[in-house]
Amino acid sequence: MTILEAARKLNAEVIVEGDAVANSIRHVVASDLMSDVLLVDDEDILLLTSLASDQVLRTAHIIGAVGVIVVNGKSLPTSMVQVARDLGITLIKSDKNKFDACIAVHKALESA
Amino acid sequence: MSDLPKSYVSEPRLNGEGTEQPAEPLVLIEMIQRLKVRDVMTSKLVTVVRASPLREVQSLMKAKRISGVPVEEGGRFLGLVTINDILRALEGGYIDETCQKHMSTKLVVLEDDMPLSFALRYFENYHYGRFPVINREQKLVGIICQRDINRALLLELANELNRLESEWVLSKATAQPYNLYVLREFPVSKYDFENAGKAANKIKQILQEKKFPPKIIRRIAVAAYELEINLCVHSDGGSLSWQISNGRVEIIATDSGPGIFDLEWACKDGNSTANEWIRSFGFGAGMGLVNVKRVADEFEIESTVDVGTRVKAVIYIDAKLKDEI
Repeated sequence: MTILEAARKLNAEVIVEGDAVANSIRHVVASDLMSDVLLVDDEDILLLTSLASDQVLRTAHIIGAVGVIVVNGKSLPTSMVQVARDLGITLIKSDKNKFDACIAVHKALESA
Repeated sequence: MSDLPKSYVSEPRLNGEGTEQPAEPLVLIEMIQRLKVRDVMTSKLVTVVRASPLREVQSLMKAKRISGVPVEEGGRFLGLVTINDILRALEGGYIDETCQKHMSTKLVVLEDDMPLSFALRYFENYHYGRFPVINREQKLVGIICQRDINRALLLELANELNRLESEWVLSKATAQPYNLYVLREFPVSKYDFENAGKAANKIKQILQEKKFPPKIIRRIAVAAYELEINLCVHSDGGSLSWQISNGRVEIIATDSGPGIFDLEWACKDGNSTANEWIRSFGFGAGMGLVNVKRVADEFEIESTVDVGTRVKAVIYIDAKLKDEI
């Protein structure tokens, strides 16, 4: 399942389409602590977070994530959209809370 | 965020139309982050006191060719008389009255240790011709106008050009062209979350362009990012430098304080001095140095309290890759 397919399942809004939209999601990390995200060694990660800051995208870029879904309907700062474009990271916004978003992604991955 | 100057906290984030435009040369962005307001401001101040008549200010403006005069008494900054105040006084016929009555007192000021990028944003947001500069003790230490910024940037650009030219000569002189790929240094300012991580992102992009193996890139990027965030969060400001030479990548973070009291403690999982404000950005879990050690083949740290800290992480590049390049 690609990140755009995940966005459709979550009924989420795609803000920026990045470079890895065709990659299949292989792992999901849900965290607001970027320090923890940086400890993950997996490839093609989908990052779910309720943190709406540039650092989320910078972290996603460092770990080569396929993209970021910001949950809880957080409003995204303009700078975040620009950083996503600059770094080629897919940025998605979902109104679901993190728990429900995780369940929805898990179900979608199982049926994919 | 209690230990932050108020103006740092209240500032809006940069939007995409600010200084973050992708078309802006990286060298210029680095420069406006590295330079502090104190490096650019005019510190030889012409000031008056509250009892000074506006006519005296008018004469000073004419003689010194300036458009704003701070009102200061015993180092305390009390107000500013601008050329507009003088024009109004001439029109209103009160040019012989004192500054106390007519000076501007609702003022936006800059602090001397703010990065130049803050000053540029202030000029964009407030449309004032100049800003008084105060230090941490709230004393007036200078004044900054756009002319000062232009002058400083031109000088710095000339220096940077010289540096790049010498680097180019150095790389030309190297017998093996890939023995030394890159040697760069990025300034990192304290609490500058707006820019923290940019250096690591840039390093990753360069390595991807050079087609390094993804796993090596990931380790280098993680080490660089963690060290960069550490500089932003824990230091009084410093620099992140990196170089690729002899089949290894070396990343060095150096800062000018405050130093680490207990190195052993700081390098253990979960130990951190970060406050809640830093944690709200997703950092400060006490995993930074641990993670750098994890991804690095060599790790060194030295620190002296009140002097500074230097962390070096080395990552070996695949020998096969070395042969290919």
